[in-house]
Amino acid sequence: MGAVSLFSLTRTIAGLAVGALVLSGCGSSLGESGQSGSGGTQSGGAVKLGLLVPLSGVYAPVGEDIKAGFELYLDQHDGKLGGRDVDLVTTDEGEGPQTGVPAAQKLVTQDQVAAVAGVVNSATALGLRDFFDESKKPLLIANAGADDITGARKSEYVWRTSFSNGQVSGALGPAVAEEVKGSVYLIAADYAAGKEMVAGFRKSFEAAGGKVAGEKYTPFGKTQDFQPYLSAIRKSGADAVYAFYAGAEAVNFVKQYQQFGLAEKTPLYGTGFLTEGGVLAAQGKAAVGVKTSLHYSTELDGAVNKEFMAAYQEKAKKPPTVYAVQGYDTAAVLDKALAEADGDSGDALVKALGKVGPVDSPRGSWKFDADHNAEQTFYLREVRADGKTAVNAVVDELD
Amino acid sequence: MATHLVSVLNGLAMGSLLFAIALGLSLVFGMMDVLNLAHGAVYLVGAYVAVALVTDGAGVAAFVLAVLAAAVAGALLGGLLAALTRATTHHLDQALLTLGVGLVVAEVLTLAFGTDVHSISAPAPVGGGVTVLGETYPVYRLLVIGFGVVLAVAVYVLVERSPLGSVIRATVADRAMVAALGVNTGRVLVGVFAAGAALAAVGGVLAGPILGAQPGLDEKVLLLALVVVVIGGLGSVRGALLGAVVIGQVQALGTALLPEYASFLVFAAMALVLLVRPAGLLPARTGVHA
Repeated sequence: MGAVSLFSLTRTIAGLAVGALVLSGCGSSLGESGQSGSGGTQSGGAVKLGLLVPLSGVYAPVGEDIKAGFELYLDQHDGKLGGRDVDLVTTDEGEGPQTGVPAAQKLVTQDQVAAVAGVVNSATALGLRDFFDESKKPLLIANAGADDITGARKSEYVWRTSFSNGQVSGALGPAVAEEVKGSVYLIAADYAAGKEMVAGFRKSFEAAGGKVAGEKYTPFGKTQDFQPYLSAIRKSGADAVYAFYAGAEAVNFVKQYQQFGLAEKTPLYGTGFLTEGGVLAAQGKAAVGVKTSLHYSTELDGAVNKEFMAAYQEKAKKPPTVYAVQGYDTAAVLDKALAEADGDSGDALVKALGKVGPVDSPRGSWKFDADHNAEQTFYLREVRADGKTAVNAVVDELD
Repeated sequence: MATHLVSVLNGLAMGSLLFAIALGLSLVFGMMDVLNLAHGAVYLVGAYVAVALVTDGAGVAAFVLAVLAAAVAGALLGGLLAALTRATTHHLDQALLTLGVGLVVAEVLTLAFGTDVHSISAPAPVGGGVTVLGETYPVYRLLVIGFGVVLAVAVYVLVERSPLGSVIRATVADRAMVAALGVNTGRVLVGVFAAGAALAAVGGVLAGPILGAQPGLDEKVLLLALVVVVIGGLGSVRGALLGAVVIGQVQALGTALLPEYASFLVFAAMALVLLVRPAGLLPARTGVHA
């Protein structure tokens, strides 16, 4: 049967591309909820806010946690922020800027929200920077970690309640330099965040006298089997490993790290996302002993966290994650800013955001720094078995 | 050197899984001219069957049960897809139809199991590692290689040496002629479709301890299976086997030797094969006419 030809394959692939286009087009309108047309910019009455988080694609677990955290704060405050009823418009960010940017633009131009919160993907956040800067509307980043967002490309209208990549990985460097006698191998997914994480770690690690055994980037989103890289790590003779992965890659990396026998001899360090939430649940016992840096752990002792944990568990039927805390805190910040602001023009809100002051959060107290980034404590966490599950025990505070 | 030999071993494990997954795709493509883009979703069904049935620390019994359940689920889905795709003979329509079914199945799985990443543990007795050439190697992956060898031999005997196999091969070569000889080719096609889908679902269970289960995995697996089919040649068992082994090695050994080019080694291999042998390395023998 020679009829099957490359031609038909090409046509099929063309068809696929069309299909994908149609689908992604639907995605942005399917994910919407809430009513439109109420305008909602008058002071004192209801305020309309946009929540832009991924509800489909690889980042959906992160988006769902941010959304659950944000909504929990609203529930706890009778659906009000700053004493005003909130009309929340939730929109799907999708996997990248091609879906996230138009979705945010729609929130601002069509739904006329007073501010947009969310954004998981860094490329989307950077792609939105100019739009929010020019429309003079506040954008509150609840996850995207690119250093530039509050660095080289910072804007008066862009604020970040989460973390920056260099910050969260840099916090770990000195601790590893102190604990590890010998050299450390650096490995991460080959994309902007992976590079920034490794650069941030390497800088503070080497400044503290640490020695690097090797540095390797693995194809992002395409690596399922890490054996060739694990063999290279073994061959390098490194005494410890620093890794940055998230999602499925984090699960596979940590499990295979244990399966191929490295976990016994070579301690694994990483950025907290390596062992966070559902990822840790999937890794199970394979992750025990992995040490990471992050600005939150479910094991934190504070009363605010205890109360938050109980409320979140009841709402979402699972323990919270750092993403849920970021969503929760974003709502808390908006609560304070709306209470303070004179009207809800972008400029009034931005002015109020500057006066928010310390936020008493489940992660501990934090505040915005001069660049609008979250200034916070990072914790050294170690995965420990707790009955049948594994948790990120807090070992130390990092500075 | 020893490091690279371990990579070769690992390539064989991945190749075994790819063979199980790509075989059905290749035969259905070769026989019915149907590019089954729901194949990845069928694989994912198998993976989630394992998530549901194989709990942490489960024994061999639970794992075998998951394999059987996945085979049944896969065969049913395959039968359904075969029936659906017979409604139209247009290639693009069929491809879009199967793509749609695949998307629906994947979405239903997401609704049922959530968007979180799931992992499946290898059955307890083979969950550990052995020392191979001075490196720790998971026992489970050695068993996967064994499974691949057994599967390859079984399929070879079935397709190349049995009366049923000669009907299947003849149907790939010239469906109209086989029908003219009084064989119900429709039943052969549905049977092959169902068996191929069952193998893909079983592949999902067996790959579980290595690749886990999460939304989006269906597309990655489908893409790799398509590459295997293109490299091996359509409608050919030996082609699927060779393609799977080649891609397994390209992924493992290639990554070990040329880590900088890891992300497009697979496609470079495919492009190379297409340049030298446009019909694939071992295409099905097609009879006289083109």
